[in-house]
Amino acid sequence: MDDLHIRRSILADPNARDEAMTEAIKSDPAKQKFVNEIEALDEKIFSAMNVPVPEDLCNKLILRQTLASHQQQKSKTRVRLAMAASVAFVLGLTVNFMMFSSTYKNLGDYAIAHVDHEASHFSNTDKANVTLASLNQKMASFKGSFDSTFGTLIFADYCRFDGSKSLHLVFQGESSPVNVFIVPNDEEIEFNAKFSNDLLEGRSLNFNHSNVIVVGDKSEPLNQWQERINNNITWSI
Amino acid sequence: MATKQVRYEALVKALHADLYRYAYWLCHDKHVAEDLVQETFLRAWRALDSLKDEKAAKSWLITILRRENARRFERKRFDMSEYEEATITDVKATSNEQEIENHWLREKIAQMPEEYREPLVLQVIGGFSGEEIAKMLSLNKNTVMTRLFRARNQLKEAVDDEPKLRGLHNG
Repeated sequence: MDDLHIRRSILADPNARDEAMTEAIKSDPAKQKFVNEIEALDEKIFSAMNVPVPEDLCNKLILRQTLASHQQQKSKTRVRLAMAASVAFVLGLTVNFMMFSSTYKNLGDYAIAHVDHEASHFSNTDKANVTLASLNQKMASFKGSFDSTFGTLIFADYCRFDGSKSLHLVFQGESSPVNVFIVPNDEEIEFNAKFSNDLLEGRSLNFNHSNVIVVGDKSEPLNQWQERINNNITWSI
Repeated sequence: MATKQVRYEALVKALHADLYRYAYWLCHDKHVAEDLVQETFLRAWRALDSLKDEKAAKSWLITILRRENARRFERKRFDMSEYEEATITDVKATSNEQEIENHWLREKIAQMPEEYREPLVLQVIGGFSGEEIAKMLSLNKNTVMTRLFRARNQLKEAVDDEPKLRGLHNG
């Protein structure tokens, strides 16, 4: 191993040497002296390069990162809060919409459904058990009254008519009960003058504050019923 | 989250000094070096999950710092001034003989061409092997070894000439 090569590798890296180099250095005092020199030089270089590090640098680094990630977390929390609020808001709207909006699109559909639902409660042979006075008392909340009794009134009471308070009257018909609904005007629900399904038929009349709906079997003379109501009813302001 | 914080703090404590020194020898300015280290650690925090091998942390950080330093030059080209004596740490006032010696050698190191100084700093301060340095600087190993040899050789010659120079200064 030649001298120049050894000198070069020691200068390049004083700490790294292979066996051949170690042997060569051991056997030659001049080389050993050179190694010692370079090791001393390296110590000096290390000492010179070891510039003082600002004392607070370590803390600064940790503080800066802590602040940065805190800021990040804060904005994350804010975003999460905003998202939660949005979800709650939409949920509220949906519930509101589902609870309080009309399930049926028009008066007819609802009236028929209502009659169907309660058909079993009434029989055409039931006796009349509602007086004109108690009927008119109930009518008062719709700002209307009947002048005289017409037909046989089997039943008269308040009903939920698709979310709004209404009066449900059941008269004895020719073969089956005839239902009359007094329903406050509702802008959401579509008014239809005539409607029917397979069995039932209905007519609606629109007054100032209320709709009067008559629903009965197709065989019932609904026009007559409607006329009778129309002639008998008086609306107050 | 907590473990990431712990990892980060450990990394800062263990490596900030070496990193600062490396930055210092890269830019010869205490304040710029500090900024570089801060920027490096901030980037390191963001990418901490990508650091799988803790042993590679030092070279990973140095790679980030070198990139930051390069970016500094992209940003302000006019800042690319040559080494100025005034920017070198002045420790003369309150120092002993060792410090004077250090100061003198620091000037010599600072005057060395960048391409010689950088591998030497990585070797002496970073404790990296020739191969590792070659990898970090994207050079081949022989080139790195040659530069290390030249760097030390220059410093050796400077030190060998020192008494003469000292004498001149003192006289």
